[in-house]
Formats: sequence, C-alpha cells, structure tokens
Amino acid sequence: MEAIFFAVVNRGKANAVLHKAQEYGARGGTIFLGEGTVHSRLLEQIGLDESHKEILMIPASRQLCRKLHDMVCREFMFTKRNRGIAFTIPFRRRTLQESGVKPESPAGGAAPAYSCIITIVDKERGKDCLKAAWAAGARGGTLVHGRGAGVPTEFYYPLVIEPQKDIIIIIAPREKAAPIKERIASELELEKPGKGILFILPVLQTSGLFENEPGDQGGVAS
Amino acid sequence: MSLLAEKAKDVTRTLLPVVILVLLLCLTIVDVEAGVFIRFLVGSAMLLVGLSIFLWGVELAMNPIGEHMSREIAISRTPLKIALLGFLLGFLITVAEPDLLVLGYQIEAASGGALSASVIVYMVSIGVGVLVSLGIFRLLGDMPFNRFMLITYVIIFILSAFVSEEFMAISFDASGATTGALTTPFVLAISLGLANIKGGRHTEENAFGLVGIMSAGPILAVMLLSVLTEQKNIASVEIDVGVAEGVLGPILDALPSIFVESIVALLPITLLFFIFNFTRFKISRDELSRIIKGLLLTLAGLVLFLTATASGFMDMGRIMGMELAGMSRWLLIGIGFLMGLIVVLVEPAVHVLGQQIEEVTSGHIPLNLIRITLSIGVGLAIALSMVRIVIPEVKLWYFIIPGFALALVLSFVSEPIFVGIAFDAGGVASGPMTATFVLAFAQGAATVIETADVMIDGFGVIAMVAMAPVFSLMVLGTLFRHARVEFPSRKEKEAPSLPPEEELQHNCIMVIVNRGFAESVVDAARLAGATGATIIRGRGTQEDHKVVLPIIHVELQPEREIVLLITGAHLSEQIADNLLADPLLVREGEMAVFMVPTEALVKIPEQDAPPGGASSGT
Repeated sequence: MEAIFFAVVNRGKANAVLHKAQEYGARGGTIFLGEGTVHSRLLEQIGLDESHKEILMIPASRQLCRKLHDMVCREFMFTKRNRGIAFTIPFRRRTLQESGVKPESPAGGAAPAYSCIITIVDKERGKDCLKAAWAAGARGGTLVHGRGAGVPTEFYYPLVIEPQKDIIIIIAPREKAAPIKERIASELELEKPGKGILFILPVLQTSGLFENEPGDQGGVAS
Repeated sequence: MSLLAEKAKDVTRTLLPVVILVLLLCLTIVDVEAGVFIRFLVGSAMLLVGLSIFLWGVELAMNPIGEHMSREIAISRTPLKIALLGFLLGFLITVAEPDLLVLGYQIEAASGGALSASVIVYMVSIGVGVLVSLGIFRLLGDMPFNRFMLITYVIIFILSAFVSEEFMAISFDASGATTGALTTPFVLAISLGLANIKGGRHTEENAFGLVGIMSAGPILAVMLLSVLTEQKNIASVEIDVGVAEGVLGPILDALPSIFVESIVALLPITLLFFIFNFTRFKISRDELSRIIKGLLLTLAGLVLFLTATASGFMDMGRIMGMELAGMSRWLLIGIGFLMGLIVVLVEPAVHVLGQQIEEVTSGHIPLNLIRITLSIGVGLAIALSMVRIVIPEVKLWYFIIPGFALALVLSFVSEPIFVGIAFDAGGVASGPMTATFVLAFAQGAATVIETADVMIDGFGVIAMVAMAPVFSLMVLGTLFRHARVEFPSRKEKEAPSLPPEEELQHNCIMVIVNRGFAESVVDAARLAGATGATIIRGRGTQEDHKVVLPIIHVELQPEREIVLLITGAHLSEQIADNLLADPLLVREGEMAVFMVPTEALVKIPEQDAPPGGASSGT
C-alpha cells in the first residue's frame, strides 16, 4: 500500500464508489461523514451553506490510485462540477517487517500541484478556520467532527471528557498552501499551545477540482 | 446539495406513497367530496414545505441547544444539580405540549370531571421529568439500558393489573401525546450530547434510549393517577366526527390556534436556552444567530406542518375510515396495514431519528433497513387495531403486554445499540401524523361499526403504534447480532516503498481500527511518546472478510475508528512499531497503520498530558 485514495462525495454515494473501486481491484475502504461548505456570503446568510458529505478512503498502490481517479471521472462524472472530488495522499502502510527500513524517496514525476491542509481545532472554531482559509484564497473545505483523546475530570460522575473537535480538510494549489497556513495560524492563534494543530500533506493527484473558474468552490462544495 | 434540498428530497420520498395511496382509493372505491379531496392535496403540499423547513430548523437550532444543555448537565459537580436540571427539562417540554392538553380535556370529559385536565397535564409532566432525570443518571452512571427498561416495564405491568382497560389505553396514549414533533428531536439531541460528552465504548448505545425512557413517564403517571383516585371506569363521550367543508376555510380556521400552540410548545426550550446562554454558555454571535434562525424555521415549519395534518389529512382519514368500514372488514384491515406501512415514515421525528442513527453509527446501520422494519411494525399495529375495532372480543392488552414483554426479553440478546433505538422508535412513531390521519381513520371506522367505541378504540390505536416498532426493531437487532455470517477471503500484502523528505520534521500517522479500540491505540501511542490524538468515527469494509446479513442480504460495514496522530519524525517509527507490536490491536482491532511525512504546525503544552482543549495536538 503506497497511498490512500480519498473521495469526497454526497452522502449516500460513498458505497457506490467503493463498490465500483472494488471492481477495479481495491480491497476495502473506510468511510466517514463530513460536511461540505460553500464560500458564499449570501448562502451563508440564509443558512444554506452546508451539505452532508461522505469521505471515502481506499488504501491502494499508486497505480491503482491512478486507475481510481480515471474511474471516478468516468463513472461518477467528477469531471463535472459538484459531483465530488478525489485526491491521493502518499500514506505508506506500515507493517512490522518493514520496521526500520529506510523508505525510498518519492516516486518521480512532476511535483504535485496540490497540497492537503488539515487543521484540527476545538469544535465551533471550524467555521472560523474555514473563513480564514477562504480569506487567504482557499475555495472550499470539508468539515469532519471528531474527538480528542480523553482527559479524566472530577465532576460528580468521573467522566472522561472527550473534547469535541472539528477537523477541516482543505485541498489547495501548492503555492497557496503557505499563505493559507499562515492565515489560519494567525487568526486561530495556533502558535499558542492548546489552540489547535495544522499540518500539510502532499497530494499526488486530484480529480474534480476546478481551481481556475471564478465562483467555483473547488468541487468540495455542494 | 444543500441541507434544505436534502431534507425536501427525503420528505418527498416518504410523502409520495401516502399521496398515491389516497389518490388511488379516492379514484376507485372511496367517494370523497371535491372540497375534502382538494384540501388533502393542498395539505400535502403544505406538509412537504412545512416538514422540510421544520427538519432544517431542527438541525440548525435543536441539535446545538440540546448539545449545550446536555453539557451543562454532565459537568455538574453534585447529583442534585443533575436531578434538578433533568427534571426541569422533562417537565417544561411536556407541560407545553399541545397534544397533551387536548388529551387532558378528553379525559376530563370522559371521567365526568373527576379528573381535571390540569391535574392530568401536571401529573404527566412530573412523570416525564422524573423519568428524564432518572434516564440521565442511568446514562452517566453506566447502568445497562435493558435492565433499566426491564425494571420500568415490570412496574408498569404490575400497575396495569390494577387499572381498567380504558385507563391502560389512555396511559399509553398519553405517552404518545407527550412525544410530540418538538419534544422528540430535542430529547434525542440531549441524549446524543450526553453520550458524546460521556464518551467511552458505549457512546453509540448511549446516544439512544432517552426518548424511550421518557415515554414511560406518562404511562406510569396516568396509571398511578387511576390507582390513587380509584378512578376505574370512564364513560364514553361523543367525539365530534363531523367533516368540515370547503377548501381554504378549514385551513385558515386551524392556522391561528396552531400558531399559538406551536409558539407555546417552543417557548420553554427557547427561554431555558437563552437564560442558560446568558448566564453560562455565552456562545459566539455567529452561532447564536444561527440558532435563532433555526428556531424561527422550526416554528414556521411546525405551524405549516401541523396545519396541514389537522386540516388536510384528518377529514380525509375519517372519510376513508367510514367508507371502508362500511364496505368490507377485510378491506379495512388491509388498507389499515398499508396506511401504517407508509404513514409512519412521514412522521417528523422518524426523520430526525434516522438522521441521528446515520450520524452516530456513521452509516454502519443501514437507514433503509430501520425504516422498513419500522414500517412493518406500524403497519401490523394499525391492522391489528382494525381487527380490534371489528371484533370487540379482542382486547388491547392481548397485544400490548406480550409485545412489550417479548421486546424486553429480546433486549437482552439483541445488538445493544438497537435496544435504545427500538424504545426510542416507539415514542418517535406515535407523532402528529398518527394522532391526526391514522387516528381519524380508526375513529371513522369505529363510528360505522356498532360494537366499537369511538373514544376507547381510538386511544388503543396510538398505544399499538407506540408498542409495535419497539418489538419489530428489537427483532431486527437480534438478527443483527446473531445471524451474521462471515466470508473469509484472500489475503496478501504488497511490498512497501515510499518516502520522507528530510526537511519534514513531523509524521502524520493514521491508524484505522475497529470501534472501541481507538482508546487503546491512543494509550499505546502515548507510551511511545505521543501526547494526543484525534479520533473520527467511520465505517469500513475490512480487507479480508465481509459480513452479510442472511435472508435480506444486506452487507454490513463494520464500524471503524480513525485515529490521527501528528508526531515528531524521530518518534513516529517507535510509535508505529509499538502499535503494531500489540497483538490485541492487530488481531481483534484489525488495525491498519499508515504514515506520511508532513509539514506541521504544532505547539505542545508544558505538561505531557494536555488538559481539555489541548488534547488534539501531538
């Protein structure tokens, strides 16, 4: 497993994509739920700025990932807007045998055109993060709810409070990644401990992104 | 697709079968005046718009309010505060429920004034308050849900030996009346919020069940009232079964009173939230404006929806019941089954519950399967109610007591998450559509059949609708747990190759494990030097086997958890090895570990176990 293929689609669609991918040789996948967002003031004002999404992850070889990109473009019309987006991140599967083996440098080819910026902040601050990213030129974003690792507390019931977290996934052109990162970091005060974390993952290939067309939301939007 | 469009699509899909069934009947065997017929069509359109807006508002307003309130309850430092807050919530949302007041007046009339409407409303509200409060203690104190329900229903069964059949019907009906269109989504949100805060392995099970617990409150309250006041028999009173004429007149007549009722019903939650927001939560302006917007949408949607059911659907149901009962008894039972099958899916709370099931299990439980099971349960309930109307010898308790008893037995062998969902579904299914359309249908039938009693048989219908889904979903849960077959399949590993660039000083580790193992992953990672992690719920097909439900051939995707760790490059190898060396995680957790070098911006607090907000970092 040299990479993980990600697809963000409307809710209910992920199973169909997964099944198709299995026909192409994928062995399995993991699906989680998220919310798509649109960068539009008007829609936001009337509250129409959200839509339900599913995110599908399929571990696969790079070759298979390329095939899956072709597959979503052809079978699920990712070539059209708002059908969904897909991207590949070079996640390497770890096994014990492999422990200590020095991995080779990334496979050749052109430098990746996109980066995947992931920010993890306390719940309710996800929207602020998206606004900061939009201000710095990002176009869409997918919001996922998760939880932090538990911290024991001393309330009447000894609860292990698991702080709710927002995870924001933004796919942006590589040259925009740095300004977006700076903007998010400064507006959400990420330099202070405990305010959240941000990290950038390399992206090998994308489908369904329409970066150049004005008014488009990078396909992440509904 | 935006949220509103999503809701509208969902509502259309569930409403369409109802409209088609009524249209077919009206065009073939049932003879309906043009006015009523057109009013039904207008009502359907209003219902479509109203319910879509309502569900949208619920998602914008009710869910966050429930979340904030439940947090306030969970972080109490004394049990007294938990008890008081829980009671207050339960009491306030029930006392404002318009359906309950209507029921109160009916009982007042039926008991010849011996029981006043306000006594009934307060008793039932106190019952709900006590049960909600106990339910919260159960959740936070980790008492198994099935044991709690067993104790509750054993008390109900004992009490039911002392009350008459009429009172038994009324008490179950009161439970249906309290779980209205507004209270159910709110209590579901509270339950979800509490479960999320409590966390741990039982999060998903805990997200359901509070509605089920709450619906036991009115049953206990009314039965106790009957035993204490020794009020056993009630006289049957005439229920107005007239049919309004015209198209717009009845709709406009119903609108103002429903508007007032809806505001009254929404008021306690709103006030409570604003008081707490002012003193405790102090949420951001953006979120507040969102919630206010949501509340207004909820109100608008509720008014439209309730007006539509009261004016458009009620008369249609009544006429259909009367005509069909006059034709053939078998036809009545058959159409009753069909109506139950499709009408329940239009209930607002059914949509909300479905949404919550999807969110909580990340789609692990197929939503359509839940809906089909719910439908079949309610269909049978209506059909059996028709049998009861046609044959007076068949008593209500023939069905209610064995139904609940069997469901309770099954709750010990069923998949745990289904136990909560099943009891919730009982409260959820008996909503405004049942209380108007289906009830009117039954009452219409009862007026034609001489041996039937309009009021008592009417009460029985809602009791049946409240029982049947509990039973049918519990059967499904038992199937889920016991009838899985696993297909082993091929297994092979690929040779790895790939990369960090030297300047990247962090690694992103993504671990995918079966549900319940995320905490062990975090613990193991901490031992190797990681400081925090973020966990996402998901579902997935594993690589080496798949699970398929027999008979219906639905593929189940096991629930998985995704753990994200950002660690220094020097630590990541060690952490990954540590995880992979844990045989439990690899074998039982079916863990997969992925790694990628990353450019990260991470600030670690001084202590190694960061408190509260910091714990998502590395």
